[in-house]
This record gives sequence, structure tokens and C-alpha cells, in this order.
Amino acid sequence: MINIVVALPAEARPLLDHFRLRDKQHNTAFPIYRNTDMALIVSGPGKVAAAAATALLAGTGTPHARAAWLNIGIAGHAHHAIGSGYIAHRITDSATGKSWYPPQIHELSTPTENLYTVDRPEDNYPAAALYEMEASGFFPVACRFSSSELVQCFKVISDNRTQGTTAVTAKLCVQLIAERLADIERLINTLSGMADEYATWHAPHPDLEQLSARWRFSVSQQHQLAELARRWKVLTADQPLWLEQLEKTRSARAVLHCLEQHLETLSTSSPSTCSVPSI
Amino acid sequence: MFSTIYIEEQVADHLRTREICARFPQATQVQCQRYGEVFNPKSQNFRLQKRKPALILAHKHDRRILETPAGYGIGGRNNYYFSHMLNCLYDCRYCFLQGMYRSAHYVLYVNYEDFGTDIDALLDQADNKPCWFFSGYDCDSLVLEPVSACMQHFLPFFAARPAAHIEIRTKSTQVRSLLQQTAIPNAVVAFSFTPAEIHASLEHKVPNIERRLEAMQKLQQAGWQLGLRFDPLIYRDDYRQQYARLFQQVFSQLDTERLHSVSLGPFRLPRTYFRNIVRLYPDEPLFAGSFAESGGMVSYPEELEHEMTGFCTRELLKHVPEAVLFPCRLAA
Repeated sequence: MINIVVALPAEARPLLDHFRLRDKQHNTAFPIYRNTDMALIVSGPGKVAAAAATALLAGTGTPHARAAWLNIGIAGHAHHAIGSGYIAHRITDSATGKSWYPPQIHELSTPTENLYTVDRPEDNYPAAALYEMEASGFFPVACRFSSSELVQCFKVISDNRTQGTTAVTAKLCVQLIAERLADIERLINTLSGMADEYATWHAPHPDLEQLSARWRFSVSQQHQLAELARRWKVLTADQPLWLEQLEKTRSARAVLHCLEQHLETLSTSSPSTCSVPSI
Repeated sequence: MFSTIYIEEQVADHLRTREICARFPQATQVQCQRYGEVFNPKSQNFRLQKRKPALILAHKHDRRILETPAGYGIGGRNNYYFSHMLNCLYDCRYCFLQGMYRSAHYVLYVNYEDFGTDIDALLDQADNKPCWFFSGYDCDSLVLEPVSACMQHFLPFFAARPAAHIEIRTKSTQVRSLLQQTAIPNAVVAFSFTPAEIHASLEHKVPNIERRLEAMQKLQQAGWQLGLRFDPLIYRDDYRQQYARLFQQVFSQLDTERLHSVSLGPFRLPRTYFRNIVRLYPDEPLFAGSFAESGGMVSYPEELEHEMTGFCTRELLKHVPEAVLFPCRLAA
């Protein structure tokens, strides 16, 4: 699952078409588009709007706590060529001076660059960095919902010292994003792949929900059950958690006791894995 | 090796920073004010980052040399440890670093000279009585040596200070820089081992036992003092056979009479680290067994821990005299 935040409808258009994002939600403060494994929100310009839209998308989305997040948009740079694409390796909020460092753990050949989020369009490009208006609002908020390795910003150069911000039109914006769709798709696939893998590591035992529904577990007991189910899943290679003995069990406490007992009797001598003591 | 190098502003012009960056001309250099901005943020996942950690070059401001926990040592009275680096190129599943740090990036402190100044101050304080300095606590001492040249710096430093003893703890075979220098009597190169089966399943990227033994043989021939560290002891149903085989293999290939020290220690982790690691690796069989918690530490149940330590001690005493054997007795 990947969540995409863009500022402008013109930045969104090529993405909506390419990824067949539909089902616009009209009842939210920002337009949201979805397909089965992607959601896109159009925030409007500025870091505050980006932060609000990111939070809204996290709140209204399906419960993919380990989704990847991507901020896509246009940016200026003193001398980078119009149309070239960059991943941000440092995001600095110009107003506060605070910086964030999205970890670059992917193997993509897309170049990376420093990025400054400014409150007004920057025409002088004082530092050798990307200049745009959303990333410092997007990144820290998205990191509240996902691990920072899964949160990235991709920017396409729309203006530089040769061709300033006044030349940036909606039509140019559509064209610039459309021309970088291959890079964007690679980045999306990479991030989604990592997010899926992350989710797989933490997938609970498939029977956990059934057990939780059948007996009334206190919050503390729910934690104990989840931990027993985790161990069970590893030690039995996903064998069903539903034991015959459980059918006769009346209380949640007795269920936990039964599972604990059973875990202790499990043989743990597997030649292919590191076995564990069963005391 | 590194595609991103983060550089603290303070060390941007440091000679070591320039030398290290020159080795990785393709790496993207990212400036940061303090390394904690990159290394410490909450929303990071050690397991994901371990796929492709970056290098962070930084300045260590304080707390450079620390006292070891009580019970940690190999016979000396004044025991300290220092880490010129945080995190390790290897990926051992039992390692406490996974639970201690949020980031898997490698932090390399380039101000080695300041570590030296602090060591001198401690030696003065101890009236030049013997002091032990353990390196390789928060990292492997040698694995990044070709890049860091840390031991290349510190060995001449220790050679000039006979009262200061250094333990260089490693699982690496990067011993070239040691072999290029004359062995010094106050340095011990200590290699860690677990049985081959455990190495295969838990010690990812670590050179195999044979290669480590080859490196040890070369060092021994060159006159370096060697140590053996069987720490942590990892349980398996057939741990007795596995450890007996390992000891047989190791001691048959080294001159045991010239071994400086042998130590062993049970698998133990502070509770918070253990929980963090289980959160990172919920699918790891090592953490699916029964563990006991006591005094904030998670370990194998006491009975099992004693049994394993006792067995391994008895086995080791078949190969080495008691005088060089140091079981780790950390307070629970």
C-alpha cells in the first residue's frame, strides 16, 4: 500500500491517469483518489496544507499502518535541468531551519538532492538545493504513521535560473510529471515492496482474531495472547492455533494457560532453524 | 560499500573525513549539523535500514571512555571500554545493538586523538597502574579497519603506554593492518565464536569459522596475543555436541599455550533491548523460546543458563588452564 501526497491538480493528473486512480471522495477537505493498493490526495500548495492532507489521508485510509508514503511534485533548482527528477535526501524547513533525513535504503539510480521547503516561491535559488513548498509539512507527519525508510519525496525540476517560476504553468506541470512516470513507478514499486515485506514480518497468526472474538480478553491478556500467537507462529510454521483442548476452555485465562502449556511441550529441534529452549 | 555518507559540519574539514570520503567518490555526501539528527529520530526501522546502511562521520564530544559493567573483564582491575564506531557491518541476530539503536547506519567518530587524551587522563588517575581498554563494544573493532584506520592509529598509541592494555574484539578477518605492525605485548586480539550451525543461522555476513581461525593463526605467528570469546552462548537441543565440536576445532588449530585469555558469557539482554529486537524480528526463531526476566535482564531460564555455562566451562578446561578462563559474571 502506498499513499501519495501532491500539491496541485496538475501534478495529480498524470498520476491519476497512469495508475487508474478513481473513486474521488467528495466528502473530505481534500480530494482523495484510490485504486486497490494506492491512494492519492491533493493538498493544495504549502507545507501546512501538505501536513493536513497527509494526516487526513492517514486517518481516512484503510488500516495500513505500515504503508509507504510519497510526496510528488515540482521544484526549482539553480542549475539542474528542467524535467530532471530527484529524491530528497535532506529536507530543511527554511522558516525554522529544522532538517529531516529520509533514509536512502533503495537501490534506485535516481539522483538525490538537498531540499528546502519555502513559504513563498523562490526565484533566486541561493543554495545548491531543490526549492519547493510542501516536503517539510509532509515528511514529519507521514513519519508519524510509518517508518521513515518508507517515506520519500520525489521532485521534478520545473524552474531554474534560466527558466524561472513565471514560466511554470499547469500544462508544463502535467508534462513534467508525465515525463518522469517511469522513475515514479520504480520508486513506488520499491517503496510498496518494502512496505509489503514490513507488513509480512508483523502479520499476526491468522487464528488470532478468531480467538480474540471467542473469549473476553482484558487488554493485558490480549498482549499475552498476541505474544503467545507470535511464538506459536514461529515455532510451528503457521500451524493452526486452534487446539482441541480450547473447545472446552471457558475463560480467557484458561486459554492463555493452555497455549502456554502447549508451547512448552513443542519440540524445538529443527535442523534448519535455530532451535529454542522449551523449559 | 556506502552510497550515502552523512557528515557532521564540525568534522567536514577533518583530514580523516576527507580521506574516507575520497575512498567513496560515488557516494552522495549529505551535511548535517549533529549526527543525532540522522541517527536518533524515533521513526526509523533498524531492520529495514540494515539492508543498506549509510556511513555517518561525526565528532564524539564526551563520554568517550566508559567504565565497564562490574564483572566484565579478563583479570585486570581497572576496566574501561570505548567505541570509535556505533553499529556493526555484520548482522548477528542476537546482537544487542539492534535493540539499543533506532538506526542501523554506521557512526564513525573521527576524532581519535580526543579518545587518546581521555585514555591518558585515566592512566594518570590510576598512577600508571595497569588499565584495560576494551574496544569493540558498540561495534566490531576491525571490520571497517581498511576505511577507518582506527587500530592503525591506536596501536602505536598503546605501544607507547605499557600500562594501558587494549582488547581488540572482532569477528573480522581484516587483520592486514595488524600484520603490518610489530606485535605489542599490551594488546590482545580477541575473536568471538559460536558453533558453525549457529553461525550459519544467526551471524549474517560474518566470516566462517575456518577463515577466522586462519586470521588468528597468522596473528599468532606474528607474535600477537590472542583471546577467544564464546559469548553469547546460544541454546540448541544439541548444544553440547555443537560447542564440544567448536572447541575441538578452535583449539586444535591454535597454540593454546600462548592464548592470552578465553571467556564465555551467557545470552543476556536488557529487557527494553530484548523487546525492541522482538518487535523488529517477530519471525525469528531465536526469540520464540522461553526466556526468563530478572533484574531488568532477559536471559535463558536460570537452570538452563547454569547448565550451559557449566558444560562449556568444563569443556574449555579440557583445552586451557583455569588461569586464562574468564566466565562473564555480570550482575543480574
